[in-house]
Amino acid sequence: MNGFFVRFLSLTVLATLSASSPAMDFNVSGFGTVGFAQSDKPYHYQRFIDEEGTFTRDSILGVQADVKFTSQLGATVQGKLAPSSESDRRWDATLSWAFVSWRPTDEWLVRAGKLRLPFMLNTENADVGATYDFARLPMEVYSIAPTTDVVGLSISKTWLGEKVDWTLEGYTGRTEGHWRYYGREIRDGSNAPGSWFLPIKIKSSGLVLTAKTTDDVFRAGVHEVEVARMGTKTGTDIVRNATPIPGVGIYNFAPGGVEKLIVPVYNLGASVLLPQAVRVTGEYALIRVNSASEGLSRWGAYLSVSRRFGEWMPYVYFAKMKSTDGALEQWKRINGNVLPPPLAHLNPTQKFLADIVVPMDQSTLALGTSWRVSANGLVKAEWAHVRTGVASGLVDAPKGSDSGGQHLNVYSVSYNFTF
Amino acid sequence: MNTPVISLGLLLIAGVANANDEVVVIASGALPKVDLPTLQRLYTGRIVSVGQQAATPLNLSAGDPLRKRFLEGVLGQTEEQYTGYWLVRRYVGKGAPPQEFATVDEMLRQLASTPGAVAYVPVSKVPSGANIIYRAGGK
Repeated sequence: MNGFFVRFLSLTVLATLSASSPAMDFNVSGFGTVGFAQSDKPYHYQRFIDEEGTFTRDSILGVQADVKFTSQLGATVQGKLAPSSESDRRWDATLSWAFVSWRPTDEWLVRAGKLRLPFMLNTENADVGATYDFARLPMEVYSIAPTTDVVGLSISKTWLGEKVDWTLEGYTGRTEGHWRYYGREIRDGSNAPGSWFLPIKIKSSGLVLTAKTTDDVFRAGVHEVEVARMGTKTGTDIVRNATPIPGVGIYNFAPGGVEKLIVPVYNLGASVLLPQAVRVTGEYALIRVNSASEGLSRWGAYLSVSRRFGEWMPYVYFAKMKSTDGALEQWKRINGNVLPPPLAHLNPTQKFLADIVVPMDQSTLALGTSWRVSANGLVKAEWAHVRTGVASGLVDAPKGSDSGGQHLNVYSVSYNFTF
Repeated sequence: MNTPVISLGLLLIAGVANANDEVVVIASGALPKVDLPTLQRLYTGRIVSVGQQAATPLNLSAGDPLRKRFLEGVLGQTEEQYTGYWLVRRYVGKGAPPQEFATVDEMLRQLASTPGAVAYVPVSKVPSGANIIYRAGGK
């Protein structure tokens, strides 16, 4: 209720301010995606995609209001209706952006409020499918950002060049969010398989350098994210405890923990237009998480090649992500720890702890195209072949099995629009 | 505050544009003359001032032939490129595109009432006494 009130109030204030002065430029726009995705496997991939098909993974509806009070002072509010970030069963209306922006000079831009962070090349516009050609941004890289929205401050300085504009953006902000886990045998608080969402508090700060020419863009970012749990410690290790049975051990959480985790994130990206209208885009990201979920410590990268043919933009990309070797070995040890009688009833707890590690080892080869059907409409279609290595946290492993060694095909089609 | 130098009356007596007219860029107030890169930056939102003075670019609606000539001849972009550029820029939170008007006369009325506003017009519709800040080559 409070969230709805804040959203309503924000839009009302903007509308009122705009109406109060004809000199203000008030601009409302919207965006959306109606997307269908289907795989050839019964289990869920990326929360929602299975052989039954789903509209939930990619569909979204958003509205954005921009108001210019003066050429230097403005405000932006963006809200969206999308699958919840704290439940797999509902959609939420949330406020993505609500910030004021001030450009005291051409070179400086100050934004304060709820902001989307400049992580990867398309993080800021990820919700707006009409602004990029991939049917779905490569999750091997785009899942690495621990959060994308914070309430805080962003200051950027731009150096305008004859051919290249350089922008250095520094930001800091806080938010509350959720980390999703999936237990294939049991989950937190239940003896049934399923997902649960761990509430967390996040503080994120970073520096991002972007170079842009008419056709190309390059980006490098360094971020430090502090993650804390609500009312409890975090960062607990998973350790093996001996049992009275020789050679048999049980994995469990170690006592202790820390008040907060310090999570460094680094990213590099480039998108370059080559001769013959061929565009090559590559991104790389690295994150380190020192907790029981050490599988979240991983790197991810993709390389794509695309070429425009009139209204069509076919593309191919290969993406890969991999947790640290130590995390994957830890997952293998816990996952392979089969307890004999009389401890066999505890085996689901070992799978649960293995799932807590959240190993990430998978690659995707995708072939797709976008087709601009109008100035405001973009149709996309994609076939993606996903292979998991040791295991992948993007796969909700079926009961009695695991997410390792899986091959799945994902077919996606979507209509992306703005209005 | 700068006083707009173009009166509404002058604007309304502007003649009918010829499709081959040279496109010129005019401004209200005392904005200085600009070079091509500055104009390109202004219409792509990369700068918001000219010569230390706040500047507000105005545009015609998509599909207008004069807008097409301006985009292609001055900014060096097709309609699709320009619209696509602003689509991304808007949705990365870097601002909305210039305010758009259905006709040159409407745009000139806005220009007259907005200090620092910048607009492009065919040379045949340049109001007398207008502050011409850029001349593009006619075709």
